[in-house]
Amino acid sequence: MHAKFLVQNFNLETANALRRVMLAEIPTIAIDIVEVLDNTSVLADEFISHRLGLIPLCAKGVEEVQYSRDCDCEGYCELCSVVLTLNAKCTSSEIMKVYARDLVVSTSTANEEVGRPVITDPEGKGSCIVKLRKGQSIHMRCIAKKGIAKEHAKWAPSAAIGFEYDPNNKLRHLDYWYERDMKEEWPVDEETANIDGREAEGEPFDYDAVPSRFFYNVETVGGLEPDQIVHQGIKVLQRKLAETIAAVQGGDNADGVDFGGAQSPQMNGAGYGGQDAGFTTPYGNTSVWGAGTTNGAGGTTPYGATPYGGGY
Amino acid sequence: MAPAATTDTQWATGFDTVRRQRLFQNPPKDRTAYPTLAAAVDPHIDSFNAVFASGGLLQHGIKDIGTKVFLDSDPHAKPEDVGQQNRLHVRIQEVFFEKSVLPHTNKFALKNRNILPAECRERHATYRGKLRARIEWKVNNGDWQETVRELGYVPIMLRSNRCHLENMTPDQLVKAKEESEELGGYFIVNGIEKLIRMLLVNRRNYPMAIKRGAFTNRGPGYTSYGIVIRCVRPDQTSQTNALHYLSDGNVNLRFSWRKAEYLVPVMMVLKALVETNDREIFEGIVGAADSKGLEEKQFVTDRVELLLRTYKVYGLHSKAKTRAYLGEKFKIILQVPEDMSDEDAGTEFLRKIILPHLGSYDVTESQNTDKFRMLLFMIRKLYALVEGECSVDNPDAVQNQEVLLGGHLYGMILKERLEEWLNLLRLPLQDWGRRNDWPAFTSPDFQRDFLPKILKRTNENLGQAMEYFLSTGNLASPTGLDLQQTAGFCVVAEKINFYRFISHFRMVHRGAFFAQLKTTTVRKLLPESWGFLCPVHTPDGSPCGLLNHLAHKCKIATQSVDVSAIPGLVAQLGVSSKSSASLEASVVVQLDGRVLGFCSPKQAKVIGDTLRYWKVEGTHGVPLELEVGYIPNSSGGQYPGVYMFSQAARMYRPTKYLPLNKLDYVGPFEQPFMSIACTDPEIVSGDSTHVEYDPTNILSILANMTPFSDFNQSPRNMYQCQMGKQSMGTPGTALRYRTDNKTYRLQTGQTPVVRPPLHNEYGLDNFPNGTNAVVAVISYTGYDMDDAMILNKSSHERGFGHGTIYKTKICDLEEGNRKNRSSTSISKLFGFVPNGLIRAAWREKLDDDGLPLIGTELRSGDIIAAWHTVSYDPTSGEYINRDGQTNFFKYKEDEVAFVEEVRIIGSESGSDPCQKISVKLRVPRSPVIGDKFSSRHGQKGVCSQKWPSIDMPFSESGIQPDVIINPHAFPSRMTIGMFVESLAGKAGALHGIAQDSTPFRFDEQNTAVDYFGHQLMKAGYNYYGNEPMYSGITGQEFAADIYLGVVYYQRLRHMVNDKYQVRTTGPINQLTGQPIKGRKKGGGIRVGEMERDALLAHGTAFLLQDRLMNCSDYTKAAICRSCGSFLSTTPTVSEFERKKRGTGAVRCRRCAKLADGIESKSEIWTDGNGIRFTGGDDIAVVAVPGVLKYLDVELASMGVRLKFQVSP
Repeated sequence: MHAKFLVQNFNLETANALRRVMLAEIPTIAIDIVEVLDNTSVLADEFISHRLGLIPLCAKGVEEVQYSRDCDCEGYCELCSVVLTLNAKCTSSEIMKVYARDLVVSTSTANEEVGRPVITDPEGKGSCIVKLRKGQSIHMRCIAKKGIAKEHAKWAPSAAIGFEYDPNNKLRHLDYWYERDMKEEWPVDEETANIDGREAEGEPFDYDAVPSRFFYNVETVGGLEPDQIVHQGIKVLQRKLAETIAAVQGGDNADGVDFGGAQSPQMNGAGYGGQDAGFTTPYGNTSVWGAGTTNGAGGTTPYGATPYGGGY
Repeated sequence: MAPAATTDTQWATGFDTVRRQRLFQNPPKDRTAYPTLAAAVDPHIDSFNAVFASGGLLQHGIKDIGTKVFLDSDPHAKPEDVGQQNRLHVRIQEVFFEKSVLPHTNKFALKNRNILPAECRERHATYRGKLRARIEWKVNNGDWQETVRELGYVPIMLRSNRCHLENMTPDQLVKAKEESEELGGYFIVNGIEKLIRMLLVNRRNYPMAIKRGAFTNRGPGYTSYGIVIRCVRPDQTSQTNALHYLSDGNVNLRFSWRKAEYLVPVMMVLKALVETNDREIFEGIVGAADSKGLEEKQFVTDRVELLLRTYKVYGLHSKAKTRAYLGEKFKIILQVPEDMSDEDAGTEFLRKIILPHLGSYDVTESQNTDKFRMLLFMIRKLYALVEGECSVDNPDAVQNQEVLLGGHLYGMILKERLEEWLNLLRLPLQDWGRRNDWPAFTSPDFQRDFLPKILKRTNENLGQAMEYFLSTGNLASPTGLDLQQTAGFCVVAEKINFYRFISHFRMVHRGAFFAQLKTTTVRKLLPESWGFLCPVHTPDGSPCGLLNHLAHKCKIATQSVDVSAIPGLVAQLGVSSKSSASLEASVVVQLDGRVLGFCSPKQAKVIGDTLRYWKVEGTHGVPLELEVGYIPNSSGGQYPGVYMFSQAARMYRPTKYLPLNKLDYVGPFEQPFMSIACTDPEIVSGDSTHVEYDPTNILSILANMTPFSDFNQSPRNMYQCQMGKQSMGTPGTALRYRTDNKTYRLQTGQTPVVRPPLHNEYGLDNFPNGTNAVVAVISYTGYDMDDAMILNKSSHERGFGHGTIYKTKICDLEEGNRKNRSSTSISKLFGFVPNGLIRAAWREKLDDDGLPLIGTELRSGDIIAAWHTVSYDPTSGEYINRDGQTNFFKYKEDEVAFVEEVRIIGSESGSDPCQKISVKLRVPRSPVIGDKFSSRHGQKGVCSQKWPSIDMPFSESGIQPDVIINPHAFPSRMTIGMFVESLAGKAGALHGIAQDSTPFRFDEQNTAVDYFGHQLMKAGYNYYGNEPMYSGITGQEFAADIYLGVVYYQRLRHMVNDKYQVRTTGPINQLTGQPIKGRKKGGGIRVGEMERDALLAHGTAFLLQDRLMNCSDYTKAAICRSCGSFLSTTPTVSEFERKKRGTGAVRCRRCAKLADGIESKSEIWTDGNGIRFTGGDDIAVVAVPGVLKYLDVELASMGVRLKFQVSP
């Protein structure tokens, strides 16, 4: 499903910002934690978990779900997550395929839609997760959480986003390379080219011109309707700008209010669950230059005393 | 698919997804769908089969071993004391080799006692079958008595005629826990797959003209000229005979016997072979007396005259006398019975050593005549070589080489072991005689004792010897088997990915001897190799050019073809036994090193052409596989003649014979003198006799997989052949039944969009080796400099290049004590102590039985399995634990792993309790910065950054590349094939088709660019594969359009996680105090001399100090200021405390004086021995490198004192 639209009288920076936001900062919901209760299938636990994470879940009304990190609960709760259960066992001699439709929402959720696996194929099966042979079974508790694609691609609402301006290259941003004949070698999208207005013969080059008309083509992964992605994108972008303005103006009316917007993962911070800041060593934070050791630097190592130093 | 239909074996370029899926779901019940793949290992399997087949190599070998004779009575007794000696005859009648079955001691399995290879792999055992021999013995002329001896268990080659898997269909193979396309051709030794590597050796039965400087070292008068012939017996063992030209014109024959070299005048051998006279020899060498060109042969006639004259000094005139003379000399080394007559020993000498390919057992008179004639021919060729009439033969060219096959070598070793076993009967016989005061063999004592006491004391365990050979690759042989190396025969058939695995079976090595050679001539790629050895597929570095791979269509003969009709046909075509002096008048016709006769050069060409026509036609009993080497006359070229070869170990390859438009097999000997057109348009009328079926036939399997390799600079194709074998791929589909030490697996493998039809034909889609990636060639962000590549973070998160390593850890309770295993010797058992305390923490990782739970996460230091000590209680027959302690096997590596499988390994007898488990661990390895990737064009790169997808450049349709590489990777490397692949891949992906990437398909008129450009054009893309792209960061269009396409990427197994090395402080060397080396042990990377120089040159003194001192052996040492010594300082001890605690003060023992009691207490100090001193307190503590003190100690031990001045 696509949303094909164009934006006019716009500037490039904001246009690209919208594209970026639609790609990576619209909150959606995806399976984040998998509790493996049983897995006798041929695929490894982490491999199935990865597949589960990539299954698109419906993100309609995801605003009603809280970010897990903002929630007061420990771990996860109904307010900040959707729990899906996958429980399948093959009892027939035929090979059984486990599909996305077999993911069952098993807790009460913020609304009807959020967290349901998106199924678009005519048979209503969804994507295949794993195949089971007779006697094999799989039982997993999948906790879907809200997140953005900046953190992990599984939260991406959109697939590719087509983005284009100046199809007739009137701005001369691009210097087309061709072997013999440019017209023969380069394809032209008639539709966009006509909308943007073809270059007239002998038209003088306007070196002050800037791009102002942008052609978008947003394709959804399934979690959100494509138009919703655009709406959400604008919303997220506005909120980000508002936050920035508030921060720049400095506490007039913001008072440190967190707009509850999306947050980029922190490289060394809590986002990934408390790695160290990078300046500790496995041997502790001491160096040969002293600080801490009592019997002189260099005398001891974590592996015991050296035959030199100390000991006198 | 109708069940009756046979499995289709025809393959094309297409994806054939459904067909492949069906083959996977229902493995064929009739035959494999990939016969080409199975044919790739045929030389291995067929050569092994040839050993044990009826009338096979081993039977020939047994005949060659013959009957061994032993004499009774004391060998050290004086001759006059020895009376009539009795002769004990022993011979092997037959050898039986059974399939792999459970031993009789196993009383549990009743129905199916077969041991399948999969079980051996899982059990880390050897796949082997029992070897038995029926031997016969008699004393003097009594009746033969027979007995069957068990000779241990001998490893079996998989899918050979002794393997359970032989002739199994893919369906049955899957049920036997094998790959559906299990190829076999290797052995399983201790659970490791081993194969005997093919070796290039000199062509058999062809006298080669050699000029080698080392020949002069044989003695005074020896020149560098020689003729060498490697004679191969019917059992494939060989014996090399060499003729040396001496500067006076004489000729000596050289041979090696049991690793020692001997030289014999060739005349003596000639005279011993047949009853002859000087005239016959003269005419045999020079030519018939009345023949043409005799008068011009002054050079030869002079030398032959000398040859005949100088031999007169021996005064040996008849055949019998000459044989007796030879017999007398060689009796001892030939190990013939002591009472054999000299003449018989001489006959034995001729049988075993002189040209044994013309008769090695039951030698007839006519065979001796053949040997005689062949020897004359060799002398003739030698004189021609010296005279300059012919050139030397190049032993490094494939033309003069053949392949020593694994199975043949295996048979040779087995034969030698059998012979040694019989030979070594001498020792227990003598031992028995000495103990029992030399009773006669005719005595009843001997009858009683022979089997239980004498034969039993021989080392009958041949299986052990074979297993040793296979597991180490070392050849422990008293004869050396006429080979130039004693080690490196076997290699592990690594299953890193399928490419590597299959390459092992197509690998031919030139020999370990040549690896040490300083000259590089042996490594050269010679035109003779065309079509036999792949010019691309050889590693770079030390084995370059020595380790070659067979071209994929090259076959190797594993048995002789029937050539009984040839001598008759040749005679009909006009061959006479008389030769003339000149090569212009007559040339030789040979078949497998036997002189059939001589004919005119013109007639030789007729013979060559006619035989070829007949052999392709399949008439007149000329076999298709016969090699007809017609060498035309030339001025000073290769010695002319017609040389035919029909025996095993030859390479040959298919080409099309133009006169009949039919398949002909061409061998390397004949090829240089044939005109084979490469493609149909290249056929020259009146010259070309053959045409290649396909120019890609010259490439190996792997080299064929490089797409558009004809567009690449050639070394890049070589690099790809290396990297294809190092990529993380799919080692196999029966992974669950494998227990390799380490296996790599790519979780998200794909079939390449761009591939040749051979990809399907070899079934490589069953083992995907990489991923199709969208690749942009652009210099973006700078993180793609210097062969680095940028990975799209989102691609990575979606699983791009995700891999897994499987490791197998063996927990063996018996490790270390390899004593005889019995139920009473068991001292440890798996599991928690019965009724003992079991902590909850233990149960997190372990199950009730003390073995790990499947799926458990393991970190460094976690427990894998529990065990406890037991002792056997004979009264109850149970094992009882007495100490109540549970011990554990631990996981010691740093990486997180998961338990994938646990195998409980029992014993073969099935009665002992479990002593060994093997745990397969799974280490997930998603790509990280620093991991290595490569395309299929020798373009490797390291992932330098996982770039967020929103910042990646994108095309107008929103496509972002998975991989960004730098355009600078191309100009100097000229891998145009990669561009073409990118183009083809893009077009293929857009149209949903698989693209044929076979090399040599395009030419100047029909270029690849046009072909794929049109496809792109049709899909609405730029003709040349470029696309306008936008910066992901600013959204602005780039000024240049970007080359964007789909390229198949391999993830290589070199990963930073296995390589990174970092340390601040850590383990140190006990002696010097410096950091130890070795990544595994947490050591450091050496800052060596050159690194030090660089730091000095930069003036980075502080850094230098940090590296060489502070981070190394920084030590605070006490030094005496007054005497300037480290060594004399000593810590003092508090005098009055009970425990001798140090005071912390250091004094100089050297400058101190013994206290005499009058000093004040504060001045007195005590050393560790309680001796009281005074003085010596001018001590400073300095920071020095630890080794300085060590140096001081070392020098002191030599009586050198170091004195340091400490200031201020």
